[in-house]
Amino acid sequence: MGVLRVVQIVSRVLVAHPVWSRPAPCVSYRSFSAKPLAGESTALVYTTHGEPSQVIKLGTLQLPSLGDKSALVKMLAAPINPSDINMIQGTYAILPDLPAVGGNEGVGQVIEVGSKVKTVKVGDWVIPRDAGLGTWQTLVVLSADDLVTLPSDIPLLSAATLGVNPCTALRMLSDFEELKPGDTVIQNAANSGVGQAVIQIAAAKGVHTINVVRDRPDLSQLTDRLKVMGATHVIKEETLRRPEMKELFKFYPRPKLALNGVGGKSATELLRHLQSGGTMVTYGGMAKQPITVPVSALIFKDVKVRGFWVTQWKRNHGHNDKALCSMLDELCTLIRAGKLSPPACTEVSIKDFHKALDNAMKPYISTKQVLVM
Amino acid sequence: MMRRLAVGRLTQAGLSLLGQNVSGQWGCGGRRMVHHCSALVYREHTANIAAVRLEQLPLPALSRRSVRVRMLAAPVNPADLNMVQGMYPILCPLPAVGGNEGVGEVLEVGDDVHTVRPGDWVVPVDTGFGTWRTEAVCEEDDLITVPKDISVLGAATIAVNPCTAFRMLHDFQALRPGCTVIQNGANSAVGQAVIQIAAAMGIRTINIIRDRPNRAAVVKELQTLGADYVLTEEEVMSSGLQHVFQEAPKPKLGLNCVGGVSGGLVLSSLDYAGTLVTYGGMAKKPLHIPAKFLIFKNITLQGFWMTQWKRNHRQDKSRLRSMLDAVCGLVRSGHLTPPNCVRTPFPQYSHALHATLQPLQRKHVLLM
Repeated sequence: MGVLRVVQIVSRVLVAHPVWSRPAPCVSYRSFSAKPLAGESTALVYTTHGEPSQVIKLGTLQLPSLGDKSALVKMLAAPINPSDINMIQGTYAILPDLPAVGGNEGVGQVIEVGSKVKTVKVGDWVIPRDAGLGTWQTLVVLSADDLVTLPSDIPLLSAATLGVNPCTALRMLSDFEELKPGDTVIQNAANSGVGQAVIQIAAAKGVHTINVVRDRPDLSQLTDRLKVMGATHVIKEETLRRPEMKELFKFYPRPKLALNGVGGKSATELLRHLQSGGTMVTYGGMAKQPITVPVSALIFKDVKVRGFWVTQWKRNHGHNDKALCSMLDELCTLIRAGKLSPPACTEVSIKDFHKALDNAMKPYISTKQVLVM
Repeated sequence: MMRRLAVGRLTQAGLSLLGQNVSGQWGCGGRRMVHHCSALVYREHTANIAAVRLEQLPLPALSRRSVRVRMLAAPVNPADLNMVQGMYPILCPLPAVGGNEGVGEVLEVGDDVHTVRPGDWVVPVDTGFGTWRTEAVCEEDDLITVPKDISVLGAATIAVNPCTAFRMLHDFQALRPGCTVIQNGANSAVGQAVIQIAAAMGIRTINIIRDRPNRAAVVKELQTLGADYVLTEEEVMSSGLQHVFQEAPKPKLGLNCVGGVSGGLVLSSLDYAGTLVTYGGMAKKPLHIPAKFLIFKNITLQGFWMTQWKRNHRQDKSRLRSMLDAVCGLVRSGHLTPPNCVRTPFPQYSHALHATLQPLQRKHVLLM
């Protein structure tokens, strides 16, 4: 497999922002079966942008020596999210310098800390504070400032998938409309990582959710799964356009808040059902189509159309740990209470990354691919 | 098909007598003279605005809280025609008098009326008044005064479009001198008011217009009003706005009355965390928003509807009062001139109505 390339060791100097100005890691490629040496990390690396199945390679990175403000982290598990794929494809809003390690989310355990590190200690579970740090690898040296601790009494898969999707869900449910018990939220992509977190967090707050999913052969099983999580209603996209919706709104108030991860016609339909003065928040665009907004919705229904990007939120609140930590605390409390489960996951060893990447790109895959190191 | 919003019935001035046989109402011995007015009445919603006809209407007697007003001038706005055609989210019960904006002079007031006096100039506070008429009797509460030291044309066209411009420049983004605003439909009444009010605030405007045979003359006209940059849609699509942004900051506020591709041009020019405010849809096409503008550029899309604002502030007229004072002040100081109107004598209303349906027309104002 690959030619062994010996390259100069360059210490990985980490600066706070922006992600894309970090010097790229130096990579050597080895066969799958070779064990990494001490001071080496096995990593999923790409040197050019392109389709993940073609550009992602398993390689070995030389770890820099531990600085006095850094920590050595053993990665435990890291999911494959759509934004990770977009970053590799080169279509994302922020792109790291190349070559880069894939993955923006995941949980690791601190193995060693530099002498001046106060915010994390050996044994702590940590997640990255920002995107672009490269989580699809076995070992990484990071500035302690780039890490946030998580309690280790939550399930590993919850920890690995906490920082992006549940945070997005919580922020969207908190920051745009004041939701009271009995209010309704409507969302598409209800079976996504964000969607499932929305269902559960909303249910914990007594907020009803109307959950739109694509039609599929096992729709009734999917409906049952989502209802067990606390979904009030699960409907397929086609139903949004049908008169049945009027019946639904006889029993539940019209939604004040619509959450859109799809775009295109799906988003336009969500807008149609929104209450006057309500807000539609867009956090994703899985259909890769623009959102069609009728002018009348803006003028006469007074709806607001906004977006949310959790990475930006974290950067805006980066100076103040409290906001991020209190959000994570709130989520961990829900997890411990059994009210927030991770999405259905398929754990894949990092060396079987090809399979994980292929599955992650399959439509209707229904499980989050999580690399385990 | 637009869903009808439950915003409450519109009650027109003196509507209750429309269509009724009045002559028997006063009974024996009644000495009060029944006033009549000429009004543009429509008795059905139809796309054919020839259905709007000049009729003689009896006016109700003056009650203790009502006011009799002689209309001086009333413009024909696109929304007025939408209402006649039944293509608006609020509609008057039929039969109805057309027109939502205009200025009148108070002739007579009831005994309990305190906020207006004979001789005052007044404008309606709500949509649906029915201003295309020579006279009206209405409640004191339906009116608010405007100063008489601005022109009749200025007063007749103050309360909808310049007020829309004023609100959009104040309510969505904190704009400071040196900031930039971008808008399409720049040659519309709102567009021209935006240019002028922004200029008075020290704000630069980037103005997008449709191409047309007399483009150069329109560009010059808008520049005279204070427009900093005037470009056609085609120019923006082909050359972009980079040259503008070398001199002026990217706008945090975009104003859209067109929709479709033109709305997209305004949207894509906005700075991070900017707001696109939509107040019209002249192209009758929706906006197409790529998700990246919402997610990564944090753009907010909102709408503005003057009617809704006025209704939200119905109980407390002080906000409306201070806005009118501010806008009339700009008229008085010469910062805000009414749009270049076509003055139409009331009997020639048909020409004014038909012209308003055509593209690239100037504002027609009926003079009573």
